[in-house]
Amino acid sequence: MISLSHVYKAYGNQQVLNDVSIEFPPGQVTSLIGPNGAGKTTLLMLIARLQAPTRGELKLGGRSIASIPIRDYAKQVATLRQAPEFNLRLTVEELVAFGRFPYSRGNLTAADHQAIDEAITFLSLQALRLSYIDELSGGQRQMAFLAMTIAQQTDYLLLDEPLNNLDMKHAVLIMRALRRLCDEQGRTVILVVHDINFAANYSDHIVAMKRGAVHCHGPVAQVVNEACLRDLFDLDFEILRSEQGFVCNYFNPSTSRELI
Amino acid sequence: MSRLLARYGVWLLVLALALGFLLLGSGLDFAYVIPKRLTRLAAIGIAGVCIAYASVIFQTIAGNRILTPAIMGYEAIYLLFQALLILLLGTQSLVLLGRHGNVLLSILLMLGYSWLIHRWLFRNGRNNVYMLLLLGLVLSMVMATFTQFIQLKISPGEFSILQGFNYASFNKAQPAQVIYSGLLVALVCLLVQRTLPLLDVLSLGRDQAISLGVDYLRSVSLQLALIAVLVAVSTSLVGPTAFMGVFVANITYALARTNRHRVTLPMASAIAIALLIIAQYLVEQLFNYNTSVSILINLVCGVYFLTLMVRTRGSA
Amino acid sequence: MRRAALPLLFLLLCCLSLMVGVKQVSWSALLSFSDDAWLTLTASRLPRLAALVLTGVGLAMCGVILQQIVRNRFVEPATSGGLDAAKLGILISLTVVPSIGTVGKMLFALAFCFVASLLYVAIIRHIKFKSIVLVPVVGLMYGSVLSAIAEFYAYRHNFLQSMQGWLLGDFSKIVQGNYEIIYLILPIVVLTYLFAQRFTVLAMGEGMASSLGLNYTANATLGLMLVAVTVSATVITVGAIPFVGLVVPNLVAMYYGENLERTLPIVALYGASLLLACDILGRLLIYPFEVPIGLTAGSVGGVVFLVLLIRKYT
Repeated sequence: MISLSHVYKAYGNQQVLNDVSIEFPPGQVTSLIGPNGAGKTTLLMLIARLQAPTRGELKLGGRSIASIPIRDYAKQVATLRQAPEFNLRLTVEELVAFGRFPYSRGNLTAADHQAIDEAITFLSLQALRLSYIDELSGGQRQMAFLAMTIAQQTDYLLLDEPLNNLDMKHAVLIMRALRRLCDEQGRTVILVVHDINFAANYSDHIVAMKRGAVHCHGPVAQVVNEACLRDLFDLDFEILRSEQGFVCNYFNPSTSRELI
Repeated sequence: MSRLLARYGVWLLVLALALGFLLLGSGLDFAYVIPKRLTRLAAIGIAGVCIAYASVIFQTIAGNRILTPAIMGYEAIYLLFQALLILLLGTQSLVLLGRHGNVLLSILLMLGYSWLIHRWLFRNGRNNVYMLLLLGLVLSMVMATFTQFIQLKISPGEFSILQGFNYASFNKAQPAQVIYSGLLVALVCLLVQRTLPLLDVLSLGRDQAISLGVDYLRSVSLQLALIAVLVAVSTSLVGPTAFMGVFVANITYALARTNRHRVTLPMASAIAIALLIIAQYLVEQLFNYNTSVSILINLVCGVYFLTLMVRTRGSA
Repeated sequence: MRRAALPLLFLLLCCLSLMVGVKQVSWSALLSFSDDAWLTLTASRLPRLAALVLTGVGLAMCGVILQQIVRNRFVEPATSGGLDAAKLGILISLTVVPSIGTVGKMLFALAFCFVASLLYVAIIRHIKFKSIVLVPVVGLMYGSVLSAIAEFYAYRHNFLQSMQGWLLGDFSKIVQGNYEIIYLILPIVVLTYLFAQRFTVLAMGEGMASSLGLNYTANATLGLMLVAVTVSATVITVGAIPFVGLVVPNLVAMYYGENLERTLPIVALYGASLLLACDILGRLLIYPFEVPIGLTAGSVGGVVFLVLLIRKYT
């Protein structure tokens, strides 16, 4: 289990996270939501150890993460940020093989090859195996990077806005893949996501952040309600429930107030 | 298939060029001409490897295909150092330090600069490449001005020595220096060889590298230190090559069609060596020593790069 | 108070510049109409002052014009190939027509600088840049190609060291009779001021400029012509002085904004003051010898620019 206690983070004079204490339930998909500048990505970066907290402590399984060698940490927590701009000339298979780096340091064993195959099959990328990633569409490239992270075979997966710039089909494909990783393989997934509807329909747990602090958190059913979302985004919401899930309508909700 | 051809073809080309360079017009004089040329050829080989490795590795770390150590101010520092030596100690500086002492001091200086770059590059854990680039540019301009001033102050005799540094050709390469440099570069290459997969991971960028369990700061410091040594050796052998690194690295990416360092590093070396042999040959045979390798190379590489930028509408 | 500070500083620097030098010139000597003192003043000090002020104003303006046309704050003659082209022009004039006079040399420099600037702008406009910092990198690359051609030439004719000489700005050889060409900068400054608004519109880009009824190509060409005249006049009379065109406009933009009509006079004053200060420094530093202005301006400008960068980005 990943937990934070009294975590602060500042860039220069700018306070980004302010006394955040929270626990992420294991074996669930947790979405971090909130308006721009709420500190969602920073929180994720702290867990990924891409940034260090100014104050406070993060723990993984009861152990302070700063005390875990980065090499071992990579066997427990995998992070995917937006794919780099640098146009890399690598095949999908080569990219996915990077996921084995924490184990193999570059010398792939039979077990590594198996993990690579599994990750590629899991996302049905067999046909693209030998394609170069700089020739793929944005959605396919994001899938390839996700496959790399899956091949890392970690208990925890952190994703920073994995749906950015994707078409609807690929966004749904990615979210379903994350759901399956959780349901079929028991992995813990934490992601930053902008679209409230994706968060509401595919996650178990939601952490809503506003101005550097946790605004509210809990199981989806508990957080996704008109009052909470209105406070969070300063927008009116109308939540339409059906058998299959929720749709949060914030475009022209019937309860609309004047926007100030 | 064509990829294999490119990979091994460049080495065949280098071999052919090397043989041509050694034997053409030598009169098969194994007592004098060929050993002389062999020394030059060895110097070319070492410099080529240095330029190729330093540029490709630096581009991997910086995540940018236009930056090379030369642009980041390494060469300017080297030149300033040489000019200062001559200004302060006169021509005796050469006697005093000896060729090796000079190279050694240069390497230390470059290591210091690498350390500075490193401090700057990762302030607050953010990768500030562009900021650093600007810094390198300004430093280069300031130092070029200083160097010019010093050049004005010294006598023509001293100037010709300094010119030897600024526009080094391979003609003066001493066997001993070639051997020392060769050993040093071989050592560096060996170290790089052991970290090839790591370099591939670094090319994914800082965040992804850390996420894959790389101790990023330590790895990058090591690579920057290696770059410092390579630049010092190459600058002392060929003089400044400014944009040659950009040229070599980009031609390599285009031909190799992959970013794996296992492929790109040897290929870039081959391209750099071929280029240097051709330039040296032209200087000796066509221009009759009336120009220098660095001038030719800056001319060709600069023009190539500008056309590349314009033609591809700049993937910069 | 603050409005008056800059002109006052400028005047003070002018007086200092007239007073400082190997040959002592005292007010009492001048007031008693000592011929010797007056000769020093009119034949050497005043021409030098005029050259300094004009060069400072001209180079700072050049920086502004180029930055507006290229729409990048890091461009100036030294980072856009203009200086190298002027140098190449002089070199070629020397080898092709050795007997050529100063005006002839300047025309060569002018032509080269102008064509090179046109080409530079064409190249820059053709490329999509990921970062604005890469624009001056391409400029330097371009400049290094031009100077490689120049060096290729100079190396063959064996005057590399003397070429380094004209590269470096130096006011110590300015005396009555050999610097008058620098007055060409005066009309350029007036024209720049008259066209200030056009250059502001140019900086909004071609689309915006056209929709505001401004012929982009014609006006950009005009701007580059102004730059070429200034650069070639300064290179011929004093040599290359880097960083003035870079530092001054950036400093002024930081404190006074970017409305050219309002800021151009300030840019001009800053440019002149910077050069005057650097010149005085250069004359005092290793008195009675002189450090050439190219060096003092290059290092002072460079340091100021670095400080600006560091303060801005950290």
